[in-house]
Amino acid sequence: MKIRHILLILTAFLGAALLVAVALQIRDELLEYQTAERMVASNTVRERLLLGTEALASERSQTYVLLIGQRNESNGIMELRDVRRQVDDQLNAAERAITVTQASLRNTSSSLTTLSRIRQEIGTLRQQADGSLGLNGGVGGQEFAPRWFQEATRLVEELQSSRMTILQRERPLDPVLRTESNLRAYGAILSESIARNQALMSRALGRPSVVGGLEIDAVSRNAGRAGLAWELIDGQMAVPLSESVKEAISTTHEYYSSTFAPLQRSLLAALLGKVPPALGPEEWYDLTGRALSNIALMQRELLRSSRERIEAELTRARRSLVLWSVLLLLGAAAVLASILVVRRRVVRPLESLSQAMLRLADNDLDIDLPRRPRADEIGEMNDALRVFKANAIQRQRTQNEKQVLHARLREAYGQLQKDLEAAAVIQRTMLPPSSRVDGVAFHGLFRPSSLIAGDTYNVVRRNDGAVGFFQVDVAGHGAAAALVSVACHHALSQAILTRTQGTPLEEIAVQINEEWPEDLPYFTMILGEIDSRSQRASIIQAGHPSPLVIRADGAVEMIGEGGFPVGMLPAASYERLEFDLGPGDRLFIYSDGLVEAEDQAGEQFSEDRLRALVREAAAEPSSVLLDRLDDVLRNWRGSETLDDDLSVLMLERLAERIPANAVH
Amino acid sequence: MLSTDLRANVLVVRVEEKRIDASKAPSFKDEMARCIDAGQNQIVLDLSQVDFIDSSGLGALVSCLKRLGPRGSLAVAGATGAVSRLFTLTRMDRVFALHPNVDSAVEQLSA
Repeated sequence: MKIRHILLILTAFLGAALLVAVALQIRDELLEYQTAERMVASNTVRERLLLGTEALASERSQTYVLLIGQRNESNGIMELRDVRRQVDDQLNAAERAITVTQASLRNTSSSLTTLSRIRQEIGTLRQQADGSLGLNGGVGGQEFAPRWFQEATRLVEELQSSRMTILQRERPLDPVLRTESNLRAYGAILSESIARNQALMSRALGRPSVVGGLEIDAVSRNAGRAGLAWELIDGQMAVPLSESVKEAISTTHEYYSSTFAPLQRSLLAALLGKVPPALGPEEWYDLTGRALSNIALMQRELLRSSRERIEAELTRARRSLVLWSVLLLLGAAAVLASILVVRRRVVRPLESLSQAMLRLADNDLDIDLPRRPRADEIGEMNDALRVFKANAIQRQRTQNEKQVLHARLREAYGQLQKDLEAAAVIQRTMLPPSSRVDGVAFHGLFRPSSLIAGDTYNVVRRNDGAVGFFQVDVAGHGAAAALVSVACHHALSQAILTRTQGTPLEEIAVQINEEWPEDLPYFTMILGEIDSRSQRASIIQAGHPSPLVIRADGAVEMIGEGGFPVGMLPAASYERLEFDLGPGDRLFIYSDGLVEAEDQAGEQFSEDRLRALVREAAAEPSSVLLDRLDDVLRNWRGSETLDDDLSVLMLERLAERIPANAVH
Repeated sequence: MLSTDLRANVLVVRVEEKRIDASKAPSFKDEMARCIDAGQNQIVLDLSQVDFIDSSGLGALVSCLKRLGPRGSLAVAGATGAVSRLFTLTRMDRVFALHPNVDSAVEQLSA
């Protein structure tokens, strides 16, 4: 897996995890919001139903006292219209609330059906009540009153139960809300108990003498229920309710227990004891009305508190939902932005860098590297790559130049080699082949250290019968020395040939030495002459190794002790060395390359070894001796190459050419 | 390849090589030329470390002598074996003042 994939996958994964977490939170918030919305809807409907129930209970009492004739009809009917309108208004409002909240509440259709049936029944019941009151004609009020009360009570209970059904469907989770709804339920029981007694007690107080035991039982049962309701209400007070609610409850309770309850007890006691009660029915009715309105106030306070709480919850849920949604959008934007940034700032540059690196590794120098200056690691990598590329281009250029140069060098070297080979051929042709001249035989050994040598030799026959010879070793070796050796070869050969008879040999050396250009390398030489008539020979030794004389009897002598090289010091003087060279005697002249030839360990061949070898091979003919020397030297060196030019010239005075009379 | 030491106004130049041959001769010549051009007139060349001098090396030695000219003198000390024989063979023993050791050469030159 490539780095760019890892980066993108990681970023996407982190982003997705973040978004999922936020989305889950949003789902929770949405559920909470929906719950709160349902709570609001349910609360609105229940509020209407509660107020409607209260109003219906009030209508029941008012209708009831009218029916039993305890109230001024014209006033009573006016009030009755008001209370009926209130009932209708509240139930209408409840119906509207249910319709409006159909979307969020469950089972609204059954609630609507129940509600419309109740309203229909209220309508029917009202018509019957109106008839009994003589408004439309029909049965008398006194007969209808108990039925009215019974039916109206049933409808009140049905309204209560439909309210409780809705509450059961949406039970609040908040403890305070639960407590408040419980308090309202107990308050409703309390209110209903008192409202029933408002009607029943009014009737009893109107005609205390004929009150039946059943009526008193009903009244005292209602009173007991009210007491029970208060106990239930007190049981809920441990929960932290709002101060206004607590105050409303305690005010109501205070009034109930200090004023209403004792009065109701004393009236009941009076009724039981057939004692004329202390209070008339109308006063009771009004007093009860005050107690009921107290309770209604308490209920409204509870409703207000719940409504505020639920609405606060809804607002909180809505705000929270909006907040998380904004977070989700921001998160999504951040994820998208980070993916884009990673792609643009890391993935793409890495991709192009890695492509460029691969191509550079393949020696493809045409790659384009971005010029954007960046201060981060990718910028540094890019800079480094630019340097690599520049180096590679430079290297390639150098390589090409080297190749061109190399080709030229090879060509030049080839040309030079050819020139040198040609020069070597010419140099060899300058050397006299083994031969004999006027009773003198000579053999040469010539081994340059490179193609051409600074060594040379020659044997020249003079017109006067003498045989002149020389061997030259120019200082240094190679082409410069070879060129100088050619000049020497020519100069010496000419000097030997053109020397006028009687001029001493050393004059040649002196003259050449004097005329030798200072900036040319010097040379060493043996310049000599063998007189064909006498048995004498003479040499000039100019810095050259001392030659050996191999006598015919095999004795080996070294002659000469040295002399100035030629071309080193202009004022040098030279001495002629004369010696006997009889028939069969041989002169062995060599350049220093022979005795200075080193073996692998750096040891020189040396004069001693040379003399030993020559002594050992003294009986052999010159050509054999030279071949053997060549072999020994090759073995000594351990290779075919030489560090310095090597040459040997052997001259032999032949026996047979010596005139018999010359021998003494 | 050379080490120098000034003793009693005489520059002692010691050759720290076993050979003065074609490969060493040019740098030997250059270094000596610098000593001479620096104004040293009395020079002792200590060859006690040197086993072998070839024709190029000898040429370099003579060129030093020529560079020094008549105003100064170049003495050679400690030449033995092949080096000594080379001096004899080429008559350089007549051109250079040869001394068995540096001390006697310095003594001679500073006198």
